[in-house]
Amino acid sequence: MTNFDTVIGLEIHVALLTESKFLCSCKTSFGAPPNSQCCPVCLGLPGTLPLINEKAVEYGAKAGLALGCEIHYFSRFDRKNYFYPDLPKAYQITQDAFPLCTNGFLEYYVDDQLFRTEITRIHLEEEAGKLIHSGQSIVDSEYSLVDYNRAGIPLIEIVTAPDIHHPKQARLFLEQLRLLMRYIGVSDTKMEEGSLRCDANISLKPKGSSVLGTKVEIKNLNSFRALERALEYEELRQSQVLSGGGVVRQESRTWDERAGKTMSMRSKGDAPDYRIFPEPDLPPLNLDPVWVELIAANVPELPLARLRRLERDYGLSRYDATFLVNYPEFCELFFQVAERGLGYEDVVNFLMGDYARLAREKGHLSAERISELLTLVDEGTISQGQAKEVLSSLFSSGLSPREIVQERGLEVVDDPGRLEPVIREVLAANPDLVRRLQDGETKLYSFFVGQVMRATQGKADPEVVHKLLRGELGK
Amino acid sequence: MRQLAHMLDTRQATSREIVTRYLEQIAQQEPQLNAFITVDEEGALLQAEEADRRRAEGRALSPWDGIPIAVKDNISTAGLKTTCASRFLENYRPLFDATVVDNLRQAGLPIIGKTNLDEFAMGSSTEYSAYGVTRNPHDLSRVSGGSSGGSAAAVAAGEAPWALGTDTGGSIRQPASFCGVVGLKPTYGAVSRYGVVALAPSLDQVGPVATTVEDTAILFSLIAGPDRRDASSSEARPFQVPRWDEQFVTGLKIGVPEEFFGEGLDQEVEQAVRKCLAELESRGAVLVPISLATNEYAIDTYLTLVTAEASSCLARYDGVRYGTRVAAADSNTMFSKSRAAGFGSEVKRRIMLGTYVLSASHYEAYYEQAQKVRTLIKRDVLASFEEVDVVITPTTPTPAFRIGAKRNPLEMYLSDLFTAMANLSGIPAISVPCGKDSKGLPLGIQIMASHFQEELLFKVAYMVERGCL
Amino acid sequence: MIDRQDVIRMARLARLELSEAEIDQYQQDLAGFVSSGRKLQQVDVSAVEGTSHAVVVTHELRKDEVAESLPQDLVLSTGPDVSDGFFRVPRIVEEQE
Ligand SMILES: [Mg+2]
Ligand SMILES: [Zn+2]
Repeated sequence: MTNFDTVIGLEIHVALLTESKFLCSCKTSFGAPPNSQCCPVCLGLPGTLPLINEKAVEYGAKAGLALGCEIHYFSRFDRKNYFYPDLPKAYQITQDAFPLCTNGFLEYYVDDQLFRTEITRIHLEEEAGKLIHSGQSIVDSEYSLVDYNRAGIPLIEIVTAPDIHHPKQARLFLEQLRLLMRYIGVSDTKMEEGSLRCDANISLKPKGSSVLGTKVEIKNLNSFRALERALEYEELRQSQVLSGGGVVRQESRTWDERAGKTMSMRSKGDAPDYRIFPEPDLPPLNLDPVWVELIAANVPELPLARLRRLERDYGLSRYDATFLVNYPEFCELFFQVAERGLGYEDVVNFLMGDYARLAREKGHLSAERISELLTLVDEGTISQGQAKEVLSSLFSSGLSPREIVQERGLEVVDDPGRLEPVIREVLAANPDLVRRLQDGETKLYSFFVGQVMRATQGKADPEVVHKLLRGELGK
Repeated sequence: MRQLAHMLDTRQATSREIVTRYLEQIAQQEPQLNAFITVDEEGALLQAEEADRRRAEGRALSPWDGIPIAVKDNISTAGLKTTCASRFLENYRPLFDATVVDNLRQAGLPIIGKTNLDEFAMGSSTEYSAYGVTRNPHDLSRVSGGSSGGSAAAVAAGEAPWALGTDTGGSIRQPASFCGVVGLKPTYGAVSRYGVVALAPSLDQVGPVATTVEDTAILFSLIAGPDRRDASSSEARPFQVPRWDEQFVTGLKIGVPEEFFGEGLDQEVEQAVRKCLAELESRGAVLVPISLATNEYAIDTYLTLVTAEASSCLARYDGVRYGTRVAAADSNTMFSKSRAAGFGSEVKRRIMLGTYVLSASHYEAYYEQAQKVRTLIKRDVLASFEEVDVVITPTTPTPAFRIGAKRNPLEMYLSDLFTAMANLSGIPAISVPCGKDSKGLPLGIQIMASHFQEELLFKVAYMVERGCL
Repeated sequence: MIDRQDVIRMARLARLELSEAEIDQYQQDLAGFVSSGRKLQQVDVSAVEGTSHAVVVTHELRKDEVAESLPQDLVLSTGPDVSDGFFRVPRIVEEQE
C-alpha cells in the first residue's frame, strides 16, 4: 500500500421523497404489489409524454444549496439511450450537459480531522424499474421479473471529484452525506430499500504522482460497510496487480457481499455509447431566482454547523455533540430540555444512557417529562437508581415523574433519626463482619451500605448511610 | 360541414344515417383504396346513436356533434387498435385516448376508423405500410402521398368528411396536395401531442385534413389549445374560425421565394402556382420576391434530426411491455429479434441512420451540426416574416407519383423538399388545392405564416380556394 | 467511409438483428446519407446555438400530486409474457459493446 496513492470518487443516487413520481402522477411509496403504481407515462406506452414534478426540482435545488453548490437557473434535460428490461422507454431522462447544480462541497470529520470533498455536480433524473431474478443472482437466472412501480421515481445523482483517499474516508463521507439529506428532508436515504445507492470509482497511482491511474467502477454497494470493504478489497487487489508489474483493466466490478470480493461485471474497451441528446419532449428549466431564494431560506441548520454550535455554545465534547448531531430527534430533545436550566452534560448523559435504548423501542418522551425527571434527581428527591425505575415506568404509564415517585413512595431517606435504627439492626446481625472491619478490613463498609440500602428498599441516601456507619463503628 | 351540421340540426338527417352513408362509401371504395387500417363500424354507429340521443334531448356537444371523423393510426384511441402501420403493434390497443381524440369526443365526433400511413409515419407515399399501400383516389396507379396518405385519400374519396393526420416534415400537406384536399400543419405546440405516437417530438404536429378551407379551420379549432399533459404545448391563443372577407387581400404582402421555383420543379406545378399568385395579385395582393436560401439545407437537416429522434423514440419497442415478442434465450437477443421481426425496412433504415448520427463519434459532426443549421433555417424563415405577411410556394415539386416509382430512399426523402422548412422552424403551413395537371392529378399550393398565425393562413387559404379552383 | 463493422456496431446498439443482405443494404444507405450530408457539414455555424425546441414555451412544472394509477391487470394486459403481477423477460446478460 505504501507505494501507491489511492484515488476514490463516488456517484451517489438519492431517491427523492416526493409524493408522486418525477414525470407522472403515480405514487412513489415502497412495498406496493408489483406494477400497481404505474400509468401509461411511466410504462413508456407509445405517445405518452413526461411532465416534471416541481417538488423534485425543489428538492434537487435544496440538496444543491445544502452542499454549497451553484444552482443553475437554466438547466436542461437529456435522453440517455440504452436498452435494459427495467427501462420502459429504453432511454433515461436525465441532465447531462446542463445540470441543475455544480461546484459544491461537503465537510466531514475523519478521526477528529476535518476533510472536505468537492461535489462536481448534482443532476435530476428518473429511476428505473426493479428486477427480480429467478436465480440467486442476475447471471444464474433463467429469467427475470420486472416491476415498474419504481420506474420514474425522482433521483438526484451526486458526483464527487476524485479527491477521497481511503476507504474509511469514503464511508464517512457517505454517512455525512446521508445525514445531510435527512436534515434537509429530501430523502429517507434507506440503503436497504435502495433509496440511497452508491457507485465508487477507484484507481491507484504511484505515490506523489499527479497522473491518475486506470479506474475501476464498483457497483452493488448496498451498505456503508460494503462500500468500505469493497474499496479496501479493490485497493489491495489493484496494488497487487500493479506491484506485480501488471495493468489494471478499466472495467465495472460488482461487490459480492458473501464472497467478500469484487468481481468483473463487464470489460469494455470503451464506455457504452449512450447517444445522449437534448430531450425534445421537455422544454429547458428556467427557475425563478426568487423561488430558489425561498428554497435556500428553508434549508435548516446542517450537521456540521450544529456540531460546532453544540461544542461552542453548550461546551459539549466532540463525542457527545456527535451523538446529538447523528440523532436529530435526540438533539431536538436536548435543546428543549437544556433550555429549562438543566446541566447540559447531565442532559446528554441521560439521553445517551438507558433512555436511548428505551426511546428506540418505544418512542420518545416529551421534553417536559424528561426535565421533570432530571429535576427530581437534581433536587435530590430521588436517587440515580430510582430515576432508572421512574424512567422505565414513564414509557408505559401516563403519569408524570412526580406522580410515579409519589405512587411508588419513592424518595430519598436521609434523616439520621430514621436511618440509625436500621444501621444498628444490620450491624447487630453481622457481629463477625463488624469485628473484621474494626480490625482494618475497610472495604466491608460498602457491604454494610448495601445492606442498609436493601433494608430501606433503596430509599436511603448512600452518602448519609456511609457517614452514619463511620460514626457508629468509630464509637 | 356546415351543411351536415344544418341537416342534423334541422332533423333532416340523423348521425346514424350520416355515419352509415360513410360506412357504405368505405365498403365500396376500400377494396381499391386501402385508406383504412381499421374501420370501427360498430363503435362509430354506437357513437352516432349517442349523438342522435343528445340532439333529441337538446344537449348536443357542439354544432358538429354526430359528424364522423377518421383518425390516423398513429394517434392513440383507447381500446381501438393503434398499429402505426407496423407489424410490431399489430394487436396493440392503447389504454388511453390521445388528447386530440379526447377533443373529438368532447365535440361528439364519432370515430369511424383508423387510417393508413407509412410505418411510424416514416415515408412520403404510404408505401411503407405493413398493411399495404393506400392508392390515390384520382389515379389508382399512383400513391396518395404520405405519411398521412390514408387520411388524405379517405377524405378525398368521401370515405370520411374530415380526418386527423400528423406532419413531421410534410406528412399532412404532401398527401393533401396529392389527393386534392386541404391540410394544415399547425404551429409547433398549438396542438397537443399527448397520445400521438412520436416520430420526432421536436417536429411532430397533429393537424386537420378536410375538403374545404373552412372545414379545416373548424377541425383545427376543435383540437387547438394548450394541454397540461404536453409540456411543449403552448398557451391558448384565441382561435376563431375566420370568415371569408374579400377586402382582405388588398395590400397583403406575399413572399415568393425564388429557391422554391428552381430546378426539379414540375412545369405544370409551377404554372398552377404562378397562375394562382397572379390571381391574388390581380385582386390587390403585393407579390414580394424573397429568398429562403437555407432551404438548401432543409432536407439534410431534417433527415438528421428526424432519424436521430426516431431512433430514440422507437427504442421502447423492445417486446417487454407490449407488441411483438420473439422468444429468445436472453433479453438482448429477444430485443433484437423482436424488433427485427416487428419493423419494416424503412423503419430499420432510419433507426440505423439515427443511431449513427447520435453515436459518440458522429454526434458533433451530424446531430449537433444539424441542430445548429436548424437555428439558421429558423432565423431565415422568421426574418422573411418581417418583410411579408405570408410566404407562398408549391407544396410539392411534382404531383402524385406512381406506386413503386421511388426505389431509392434518398429520392423519396426529397418529397419533403418544400415542406420540411415549416417543421424545422415550427411555423404553421397549409396546403390548398390549386387545380389539376393535364393528367387530371391534383396540385397543391403551400401557404406559410409566422408562429401562431393560423388565422391569417386560413384567410389567405380562402382566397386561394375561391380564386384558383 | 462506412464499413461493415460500423453497420454491425450500429445494429447492435439499436438492438436490430440484421440479415447479411440487410447489412449490405444499410451499408450502402448509410454511405449515401453520409455523402449527401456533406454539404451540411460545410455550413458555418460558429457562434450558433443549436435548436432543440422550435417554439420556446415557458416550462410549467407539475404540482406534486398523486393521481390514480392503472389497475395492475390493465397494466399487464398488453404484456406478451406476464407472471404473478410481473412482466417476464429471459436471462439478462451484460452486453459486450
Ligand atoms: Mg445516473
Ligand atoms: Zn406513472
